Amino acid sequence: MIGSMLGILPAAFGGVAWGILGGALPGISPSITMALLLPFTYGMDPAQAIVLLAATYVGAEYGGSIPAILIRTPGTNAAAATIADGYAMKQQGRAGEALGISLYSGFVGGLFGLIVLVLLTERLSEVALAFTPPAYFALGVLGLSVIASLSRESLIKGLAAGVLGLMVATVGTDPVTGASRFTFDAVDLLSGIPPILVMVGVFAVAELFEQSGEPGWEQATERPRIRFPSPAMWKRIALPQAIGSVIGTFEGIVPGSGGTVSSFLAYNEARRWSRHQEEFGHGSPEGVAAPEAANNTVACTALIPMLSLGIPGSNSAAVLLGGFLLHGLIPGPLLFVQHRDIVESLYVGLFAANIAMVVVGYLMMTPAIWLVGRPKPYLMAFIYALVVSGVYAIEGSLFQVGVVLAFGLLGYAMRYFRMPVLPLVLGVVLGFMVESNYRRALVLSSGDHLTFVREPLAAGLLAVAALFLVGSLVRHARERTVGPTAGGGREGGAGGVGGVGGAGGSAT
Amino acid sequence: MNRDGVLGLVLLGVAVAYYAAASAIPPSDLADAVGPGGLPRAYAVVLGALALGLLARGRGHQDAGPHVSRRLLLRVAGLLGLGAVYVLLLPWAGYPLSIAGLIIGTAYYQGGRLDRRVVAVGALGAVVLWLVFVQVLGIDHPVGAWVERLLGEPPLGEGL
Repeated sequence: MIGSMLGILPAAFGGVAWGILGGALPGISPSITMALLLPFTYGMDPAQAIVLLAATYVGAEYGGSIPAILIRTPGTNAAAATIADGYAMKQQGRAGEALGISLYSGFVGGLFGLIVLVLLTERLSEVALAFTPPAYFALGVLGLSVIASLSRESLIKGLAAGVLGLMVATVGTDPVTGASRFTFDAVDLLSGIPPILVMVGVFAVAELFEQSGEPGWEQATERPRIRFPSPAMWKRIALPQAIGSVIGTFEGIVPGSGGTVSSFLAYNEARRWSRHQEEFGHGSPEGVAAPEAANNTVACTALIPMLSLGIPGSNSAAVLLGGFLLHGLIPGPLLFVQHRDIVESLYVGLFAANIAMVVVGYLMMTPAIWLVGRPKPYLMAFIYALVVSGVYAIEGSLFQVGVVLAFGLLGYAMRYFRMPVLPLVLGVVLGFMVESNYRRALVLSSGDHLTFVREPLAAGLLAVAALFLVGSLVRHARERTVGPTAGGGREGGAGGVGGVGGAGGSAT
Repeated sequence: MNRDGVLGLVLLGVAVAYYAAASAIPPSDLADAVGPGGLPRAYAVVLGALALGLLARGRGHQDAGPHVSRRLLLRVAGLLGLGAVYVLLLPWAGYPLSIAGLIIGTAYYQGGRLDRRVVAVGALGAVVLWLVFVQVLGIDHPVGAWVERLLGEPPLGEGL
């Protein structure tokens, strides 16, 4: 036990280091940083692989704040809320202090999120043994109903992306009869299209295509040393950290919200509750602490629906789920029964990753700034080479490299048509579970569809899925008739920060 | 027709083609009540309905989305082409040469200059990746047909 725990420590430290570097590169989100690493985990011990990916998520959330503070360009979407006050602090010659507050707040938020993760997933896992094929089918349907909340801009496009994912999941050998479907006599397609190839394609390769049209990012002009907050500052930022942690908890659990929404909400709430409201936008430490605590809390709480129900509610959680699948581990109720050691290793790994973030974050500052300063064409070229080499490393198959490129093109086309990508991934991940359990349940009940409502657990899950879907439909309908009221608050939050950011910018 | 309309047309085409392919799955003696083509056909119908919804929404509306320039499309096509060339070239040229070519080509396509520096970056990147994948992780990559000819046939399956 101690040996395996010692084994995951390098993974935690390595993952955080990789995450900080990836997060520090503008345009490279935590999910992409994780997707780049995914193929490398294939030959690793499963516990180490999962910890490596989870630690990358933790590190990337902090890494995103480095360019946000130094060059006013968020490394990750969630770090956008940090720009307003982080960059203003930098302009006042307090960049090291801002980075220290970001690091410390991320640490606090991460530990809070980890405690919530452990407590909640344990409760949910207690129903593990009650799952039967109808319940698993219902769980898959519940997962697919999340698509409705992931489709903020257009429900039709979100649903279409989800159905496309379900279609991709049908390629290969039929789970019940063993017949070949949609393989077009290609031997490489007989075992289906692994979700990892879809994820690397639509996240990493599509982002490379997208970045080819973006201008190069600004260079950092100074190399500050991180200054950790003084005891007086600890006291001052305790409340915004608490606000960020609580908001991050709720937003992390709700699929589709994620770190970006929680950061902006935390920023606005911290400003509302602050005694120094006038400082927000002009270099308030609280304005850095709240969003950074929030997005690092999300890095842990977003794993709750993924671990306990097998439903990834964010891109990063989906990539982590891909890491589980790559090692033959199926997240969901049975994970806690069959592979409890992996779950416990993940908890320990996340704890270590949060500690590592403070140490590695301090040490990685100079390399991260150096990396952001490299010419963008070289960095993008190296990342492309890393992707194709990594994918080939999985099974030594050039066909799979081609599949990843094809999904990269699909992901880029989906961005062009403003179609959300996560529903596609959800469809691919959940498609097999939905179909195999639907048909298995029907075989066991001699074709009686009432079996799905006769079983209390399945009926309950289907009811929750229906409620989720109806709630999202009502919200979409309301937004179409009277404008985005609920979302408006959130957008308002973003706008509020943007406005403040503008003020901060004008302070130059 | 705006972007939604075009997307609707594309998805309708996908739905029709997928339905046809699902209907062509041969029946099996082991088939259950739903059969291997049952759910795929249902998916195709749902996608078709959603595509019609998008078509209806996109008809007669102008596109308000961001314009994608011809230059950007060429860059994306170039990147994709470079990836495809890499896939085709790998067995013949071998991993170090192919990956160096990919790095140089991509850097050029991303806006870098085709000079000695980019060649050096490509060579250095290839060496780093070769060390990581082949030497550290022990993953075989194709050595390249020309090297095999030069050195004589290596044992079956032996890569770099």
